[in-house]
Amino acid sequence: MKKARYFVLLLCALLALLAPAFAAKVGEPAPGFSAVDSNGKTQRLSDYKGKFVVLEWHNQGCPYTKKHYASGNMQRLQKEWTAKGVVWLTVISSAPGTQGFVTPTQENEYIKTMNAVPTAAILDPGGTLGHLYAAKTTPHMFIIDPNGTLIYNGAIDDHSSSDPGDIAGSRNYVSSALQEATSGKPITEPATRPYGCSVKYKN
Amino acid sequence: MAAFFVPRRWCNNEQVASKQLFRFLVFQLLTSAAANLLIAEQASAKHARVELLSRQDAIAIGSDLQLGIHFALEPGWHIYWINSGDSGQPPSFKWQLPPGFTSGEIQWPRPERMQSNALLADYGYHDDVLLIVPVSTQQSIAPNAGPSAHFTVEAKWLICREVCLPDHAQLQMSLPISGKAIGENPSSAKLFAHTEALLPKPVPRSWKVSARSRKDDFAMTITAGKRIAKAQFFPLYPGEIDNPAPQKLQASATGVTMVLKKSDLLVKPITVLRGVLVLPGGEAYRIEAPVRQSLQ
Repeated sequence: MKKARYFVLLLCALLALLAPAFAAKVGEPAPGFSAVDSNGKTQRLSDYKGKFVVLEWHNQGCPYTKKHYASGNMQRLQKEWTAKGVVWLTVISSAPGTQGFVTPTQENEYIKTMNAVPTAAILDPGGTLGHLYAAKTTPHMFIIDPNGTLIYNGAIDDHSSSDPGDIAGSRNYVSSALQEATSGKPITEPATRPYGCSVKYKN
Repeated sequence: MAAFFVPRRWCNNEQVASKQLFRFLVFQLLTSAAANLLIAEQASAKHARVELLSRQDAIAIGSDLQLGIHFALEPGWHIYWINSGDSGQPPSFKWQLPPGFTSGEIQWPRPERMQSNALLADYGYHDDVLLIVPVSTQQSIAPNAGPSAHFTVEAKWLICREVCLPDHAQLQMSLPISGKAIGENPSSAKLFAHTEALLPKPVPRSWKVSARSRKDDFAMTITAGKRIAKAQFFPLYPGEIDNPAPQKLQASATGVTMVLKKSDLLVKPITVLRGVLVLPGGEAYRIEAPVRQSLQ
């Protein structure tokens, strides 16, 4: 059993190494994936066809992630958009031994403590999903439309800082993009520079 | 020249005590500055020592002044360039200057490329960096000027190794105002001169720089009248070129063509590609390459 787990980890690590930075380009089909969440459930992008899907790269130790969680900003977004039928997947690509790596139990505790309401939290310690989307920072946000096309790649908002005081005066790109997309309008800013800590991939 | 530093944790935990200490230090500073006594007080920030320095030992009305924020970083820790690359954040300074003084833009020395894996590359500085800020003085300050001028800067920065820590400090300094020609401060002038040698220069007039925008990359050609076998390009703005992608060089007898992969975030065409070119000897040039669209 233990051996099998190591084998899977090794395989993930190899995949992460081999994966040429695949990129997720706005306007193109979002890369499909199958990954395991903190409740042991498999999350497939294809399961959510017909719905908007948000991917949120996450590291609970990163000051930029903390900015949006300690202030309740991320939870507010999760609550608002999941209530409107949007699927919200938090993704943690921190490798074992790096900042932000969590076990399923630790992640579930964090979600409870922080009153976070993502649809699911995907644990990606091998970095496979991170490499598939070329996720660079925490946070780094992606939005996929009901047809499976990537419609947003970038920052959570327009204030590249770790100061929660900046949130009130910020334009939230994710909210704006979802508002525009759900009302059938083109997205004003479909690609922005994500800001934050680097994703702590296995080196 | 004098500088000191108030670390954030003082303000959080010992606010009252630090205020008193602060007033005391300001008093000391003003009296010492008036006596033209040159001191530099320093304190520790998170994994760094940060100080405000002046190149000149006094202010001459109407002539420019060079101030700088000096970061002495612990081994392995880094701070960021004006374009921090894929993650991180550049330092920012908010100045409080006496009337008649104006601060200019930060003079960013050429950065280093810090690549952690195939997906991520950042631009910044290790070990030791001075961020020079020119400060100009107007003739009009003369009649009202006291014996000295007081400068305050609120500095914010992000320092990273494997993890990132935001930090900030309020740095202050007083300089005597002098009617005479001024001299350089012997303890800081060397660091300023060393740093000036690291600042990107305009390209020589004889050079020609241009770029072609192709489907997935920019082909930037530099005609320099000499072969350029090695070079690194640092984009000034994020979201134009893919930071971690290897930069492919095609050297020619007259220069080089650099193939720079486009960023996934580049959704609108650009007309000028701006950045810094660093050659093997460390010479750095400011690049402004007009971009023309190419079909191939």
